[in-house]
Amino acid sequence: MTRRELPDTWRGESYYGQPPLKNPQWDWKVSGYIAIAGLAGAAQALAWIGTRRDRDAFRGARRNANLIGLTGAATGSALLIADLKTPRRFYNMLRILRPTSPMSFGTYILGAFGVATAVSALGDISALRRRRAVARLADIAQAGAAISGAGAATYTAALMAATSNPYYAAAPRGLGAQFSTSSVAAGAAALALGERAGGRDKSAKQLEEVAAIAAVGHVGASLVAGRSRRAAGVERAVAGSAHKSEAADLLIAGALPIAGYALNRATGGRAPAAAVVGSLALIAGSFVMRHGILNKGKKAARRPDAAFGLAQPRNLPGTDRRRLGGRL
Amino acid sequence: MSFDAPQEARRTAGTGIEPGRDYGFFTDTSVCIGCKACEVACKEWNQLPAEEDGMSGMSYDNTVDLSATTWRHVAFIEQMNHRPDGQTPDFQSRWLMSSDVCKHCDPAPCLEACPTGAIFRTEFNTVVVQQDICNGCGYCVPACPFGVVDLDGVDGKAHKCTMCYDRLKGGLEPACSKVCPTDSIQFGPLDELIPRAEDRVASLHDRGVEDAYLYGAPGHPGATGGIEKLNAFFLLLDRPEVYNFPAAPSRPAERIGLALGTGLATFAGLALAATALLGNRR
Ligand code: SF4
Repeated sequence: MTRRELPDTWRGESYYGQPPLKNPQWDWKVSGYIAIAGLAGAAQALAWIGTRRDRDAFRGARRNANLIGLTGAATGSALLIADLKTPRRFYNMLRILRPTSPMSFGTYILGAFGVATAVSALGDISALRRRRAVARLADIAQAGAAISGAGAATYTAALMAATSNPYYAAAPRGLGAQFSTSSVAAGAAALALGERAGGRDKSAKQLEEVAAIAAVGHVGASLVAGRSRRAAGVERAVAGSAHKSEAADLLIAGALPIAGYALNRATGGRAPAAAVVGSLALIAGSFVMRHGILNKGKKAARRPDAAFGLAQPRNLPGTDRRRLGGRL
Repeated sequence: MSFDAPQEARRTAGTGIEPGRDYGFFTDTSVCIGCKACEVACKEWNQLPAEEDGMSGMSYDNTVDLSATTWRHVAFIEQMNHRPDGQTPDFQSRWLMSSDVCKHCDPAPCLEACPTGAIFRTEFNTVVVQQDICNGCGYCVPACPFGVVDLDGVDGKAHKCTMCYDRLKGGLEPACSKVCPTDSIQFGPLDELIPRAEDRVASLHDRGVEDAYLYGAPGHPGATGGIEKLNAFFLLLDRPEVYNFPAAPSRPAERIGLALGTGLATFAGLALAATALLGNRR
């Protein structure tokens, strides 16, 4: 019988402290794309919900969501292509559809979002809107943009979690919740800004309420995700920068916007500037959070304590962590 | 057809090479002498350029790691006192050497991540990057649990060991295993290699080398978390981390459902809240 268990327990051994894992070339273009896809996707979903509830009140938000969606799909695609190391072969992304690769199915989600948004935007051209068929088609496309938008806002969490990077992989559920709450918060904030600019204070206030709820959700999601990463032994390796960017995240995408919205509400709507600041902070926070996670992962992958810490038997799926305790 | 070739591998590796059969490497580190003939043979056959790494300070290892242009890497681990009885011998107690390589995982995380289909599974059950298709997205790089595949800055494509796909097609065993003077690197069909490796571990145990174990063979450490086997598997004499291997790697694709499911569920919850808040209330 050959031995099937590992010798002893891991006491932090490594190969001369060499990095166990390699990093992709991803930089701000990728984290920027993730934030843009989240904001644009959520904006379309929220505009669709608003349109369902009150078509007239949300006509402006709908138009803005279409514009945000078009801009987001265009800049998002441009960022993704620019990130390729052989960009002239970008179309090879469409050779196959691979369900095990978020990079693959995400391309189709983004494509569907772009097409649906473009068709939905036809309904914003008044000359065309007067034709019933076009208006109907635009309505259907708007629903399509909302659904694919939800996909575009969240698949990026799977994109990062489905790697061997210890920071991305340690908290797949937490990452999914972090990205979707941040997306909805930023999308609602962006639409709210448009409503404020258009003088439609009522819908602005409603969207700000949605943004505030999503921001609260985001704070919760970030705390839960942080706990999973600590339990997996990953957070320790990037502790210094992790604490800093976690604090920045909770402040910019949590405390600041919630305070801004609350202030405006408490004064009976007499501090719209505070709400606007809150919305801007949420949008900025959605970029800062994505970029922080990207960078912490790049750091963690190069650290044996993080990479080997996660790749221990006790962290394997289906292994009961409590039962194994800290022994393994 | 190239399979009419003379099948040199019958004479050098004791095996014919036929499509449809699963092939792999068994790297028996207990007989590796650190000659680096595999590194050189790999560079020569695959025409891989040298890298300028300088002195690493890591024993006799200036290669340091696998990269887009280094597909075999011999690790040197000098152990001054590894003995479990705590006795410090007069001389260094052990010198571990191990030739690292792409594990040709089954299933392969890099392949499952590849959005273009550039990475594919060959008729020999090996994993190869097609250079005329790769567009350099880099997603295979963080997907690999072993830090193997990497992008090359010069041509902007992902590269790694092909298990000498071209040689296999021509009936030749891979360059590294052919040149290995101690048979530390053995090439062959997995249905023969795995039992041979199990026997080797048993005989080492009999001889008192009780540290020996297999890494990456089915059911052993390294073949964990949804990765059923590493077609290039190893016989190791210390913790996997000592060789820069993860103790319990896992298949990244199994996390897609968790992340996407939670993300969409949270999104739906917030959409529900939005339905209540937006529009004409009361
Ligand atoms: S070791 Fe890495 S590069 Fe090699 S097959 Fe496995 S995942 Fe792919």
